[in-house]
Amino acid sequence: FTDSPVLTGASNPIQSPLVCQPSPSLSKFFADNGSTNPASDFFDSFTTSSFISVSNPNAESPTVAAPPERQLSSSGTTMPNQTHQDVTTPIFFGAPPMEGPTGASQPGLAEATPPFSKLQAVFSGSDDPFATALSMSEVDRRYDAWLPSEETRKVLISVATQQFNPMHVDKECITMPGLKFDNLQGDAVKDLMLRFLGDQAAAKRQVLTASSVEQSFLGLKQLISTKNWRAAVDLTGRLLTAHGQGYGKSGQPTSHTTDSLQLWFVRLALLTKLSLFQNAELEFEPFGNLDQPDLYYEYYPVIYPGRRGSMVPFSMRVLHAEMTQYLGRPQESLDRLHSMRSVCQKILDNLEEGLAEDGSMMNLTQENRQEVSICELWSCVCTLVSSIAQDFVLAVATYQSLVQYEPEQTVQLLSAIGRIFLQIGDIKTAEKHFLDVEKICQTKADGQPLHTAVMMNRAFLYLSQNNYAEAHTCFTNILKCDPKNPVANNNAAVCLLYLGRLKESLRQLESLVQQDPALYLHESVLFNLTTMYELESSRSTQKKQALLEAVACREGDSFNTQCLKLV
Amino acid sequence: MDVNQAKQEHLLALKVMRLTKPTLFTNMPVTSEDRDLPGDLFSMLMKSDPSTIKGAEMVMLGEMLTLPQNFGNIFLGETFSSYISVHNDSNQVVKDILVKADLQTSSQRLNLSTSNSSVSELKPECCIDDVIHHEVKEIGTHILVCAVSYTTQSGEKLYFRKFFKFQTDEVFLEAQIQNITTSPMFMEKVSLEPSLMYSVTELNMVTSEEEGESTFGKMSYLQPMDTRQYLYCLKPKAEFAEKAGVIKGVTVIGKLDIVWKTNLGERGRLQTSQLQRMAPGYGDIRLTLESVPDTVNLEEPFDITCKITNCSERTMDLVLEMCNTRSVHWCGVSGRQLGKLSPSASMSLPLKLLTSAQGLQSVSGLRLTDTFLKRTYEYDDIAQVCVVCPFLSPES
Repeated sequence: FTDSPVLTGASNPIQSPLVCQPSPSLSKFFADNGSTNPASDFFDSFTTSSFISVSNPNAESPTVAAPPERQLSSSGTTMPNQTHQDVTTPIFFGAPPMEGPTGASQPGLAEATPPFSKLQAVFSGSDDPFATALSMSEVDRRYDAWLPSEETRKVLISVATQQFNPMHVDKECITMPGLKFDNLQGDAVKDLMLRFLGDQAAAKRQVLTASSVEQSFLGLKQLISTKNWRAAVDLTGRLLTAHGQGYGKSGQPTSHTTDSLQLWFVRLALLTKLSLFQNAELEFEPFGNLDQPDLYYEYYPVIYPGRRGSMVPFSMRVLHAEMTQYLGRPQESLDRLHSMRSVCQKILDNLEEGLAEDGSMMNLTQENRQEVSICELWSCVCTLVSSIAQDFVLAVATYQSLVQYEPEQTVQLLSAIGRIFLQIGDIKTAEKHFLDVEKICQTKADGQPLHTAVMMNRAFLYLSQNNYAEAHTCFTNILKCDPKNPVANNNAAVCLLYLGRLKESLRQLESLVQQDPALYLHESVLFNLTTMYELESSRSTQKKQALLEAVACREGDSFNTQCLKLV
Repeated sequence: MDVNQAKQEHLLALKVMRLTKPTLFTNMPVTSEDRDLPGDLFSMLMKSDPSTIKGAEMVMLGEMLTLPQNFGNIFLGETFSSYISVHNDSNQVVKDILVKADLQTSSQRLNLSTSNSSVSELKPECCIDDVIHHEVKEIGTHILVCAVSYTTQSGEKLYFRKFFKFQTDEVFLEAQIQNITTSPMFMEKVSLEPSLMYSVTELNMVTSEEEGESTFGKMSYLQPMDTRQYLYCLKPKAEFAEKAGVIKGVTVIGKLDIVWKTNLGERGRLQTSQLQRMAPGYGDIRLTLESVPDTVNLEEPFDITCKITNCSERTMDLVLEMCNTRSVHWCGVSGRQLGKLSPSASMSLPLKLLTSAQGLQSVSGLRLTDTFLKRTYEYDDIAQVCVVCPFLSPES
């Protein structure tokens, strides 16, 4: 059970080679040069680098690290609060609150949150007051706040009172995940190239793979941002294997850290974006409903002394709820979202009564009250996501309530509601919503984005009334003010087809793809283009191969090759 | 879906694509907080994706239109739209191109082309386009026949056809009723009051007796938001079948009458307006029974009267053949001409037959041949008769 869970632990049997850098020298950050937040800078650079710590004999002794101007009381490992009584703003921790209605932005801090597990490896031992202070960060408490179920709470209490015996833990209630498949099937674009363009052409294809980047969070981010999501899934697999949760490890006792859960989150999120829902469901399964005791910080009092709350990222909960909808079980998605929402609401209620998130007593300073809105935002995300389930009535109601939370998105949300009604076939109600949009746009200052929204909605109405000529006119009107609008360009071409003007439509789409591949080599546009190639002539394969060439030098391995219609 | 008939290499290629409405492209957004590992990466990627809603990238239902990717289903009453494209695949100019699109159903053939004149010339890589529409009024097989005729540069006249087949589906009347109040309700009556033309069989009782149990069993009430389906089978009434000749097009079936009770007998009642229905097609000739006895004697000739109705739009010249079966023996002349029958007209056909087997026997073996199209229609199991032995066994 005390097998070191952290990726950065010295005793970790690491299978794949990890890049190591020496710990930054502490003296560099505590110089007397009058810089404003030396301590915070230290933490930021420490954690935003690609540093994966292994025990470094050259590192400074941890006890030197106490910042000169602060006296932090050693408040032990059980109470979650008082250290910040004399501190008005927490300055150590990097993450500014989520965008939106929250206040209190913190000056001079970088964007990434310091993963505390990494810091813990350097500052070992729970007697160190500094470490204790770190583990009781205000921001962490707020983001990690979650309300465990009764059974989970009992287990966590027994851990805290040191009555817990890991031998007696019910295997049903611990999380034992593992990779359920070994590697994704490489690069679909390259496979097509081998088949249709030959070996030489295929050899020229250059994409980042799991092996061509740093085996770390940084490498992972590179793969994500270049849209090589299959390679990114493979890399998460490697990193999780290093953590002991690799292929075949499902069902074996293990332990979890903030990092390992973030890796799972990224892996499952990418599988979702690649539409590999069944794979994702298989690997999500061991996590139950994300409330098992070993997913809480309190379960690891040695590794995370004094820290409370759930290790599961809120975004992972959202993903978990959305998953069943993609698998054709939208009711389950709604159920999960509703239970998330009720937890968020309970937390909010607690905060509003001046209690801590979990209902315990605490002293709230003024700034903390502002952070209450983080929870509101969480509620809001829940409701936003529930709208994507098949329940149209609920979707519409949710979008409508969202307008209160995100008033700057009113036009987009009302238009989306209108489109939902068009999908059902209720043209009249769609029209009503589109009229509401027009009224809003009239009252606001005359701007191009608003004009676009109004024209777009009108076009969809005309489409629903079989008036493709008028729809085409609306789309071309948008292009007069915004000639590069990709949606208007694509949709205008689609209308031309319904008007019997195949050649014109083809020419328009082809020239868009040639002139601006960055924008137009998109799945939806290419589906239209290849469909029209097939309608135009029997020799469409050549033209589709030309598209393949264009795609090959630009798109990552997550490109949906079905739209090329080559197989 | 398409059956290519021509074996010869043609200079022109014909392509057909069903045009259902386009669909809106949906995205797969993933929420990620700044403090999560991906940070704002996913959000940045969504922002640069051209198919997301700008300013509201989490909205899944985008605005990009995608063309239909498969044929889909066609239901009775829907409109079938299709793009027809003739493309000059060759490198020579082709002249006098005539494109015809016809829809062949079991009862009729319709011309759907929007223009019936020929195109004088078609250059290489150019095409002739047409979008056709047809409101589906018949069930069963529909065949889209596209014919292209053209003249090559050398003066050779060429012609080819392609056939595209599709089916439509039939419908009983199913009424779905939902309790949208906040209290439970008891459905006292949900009945279909037929119009004059139809007779209705309610299919919501387990047995057809007065005291029969409803198909919903012990669940005799509807909770809030509960839904129930009620099924009815519709048959056109005999006298109206006769008067109208054949029931075609839109007919009025009747009204749904719904009575419910809530707390302490609080009563509610709704009647729908007259429900309408599109009749399915019956085929070219319809044979119905006008009179037949229930019980006949063994080996004694008896009379039946049939009625033949011409349901097509052309005059028919019919020949009647009677074929004997193991138990049915026809009397009369087989292979005689019945004479001409104009569209929607009907004629009475008295026939004599006898049976050689006892028990419930099925009258079969009538064949009607349309001499025009040389098409034969077979009619078997027209009626059932109970055949009894008239001789009592001698007692003593």
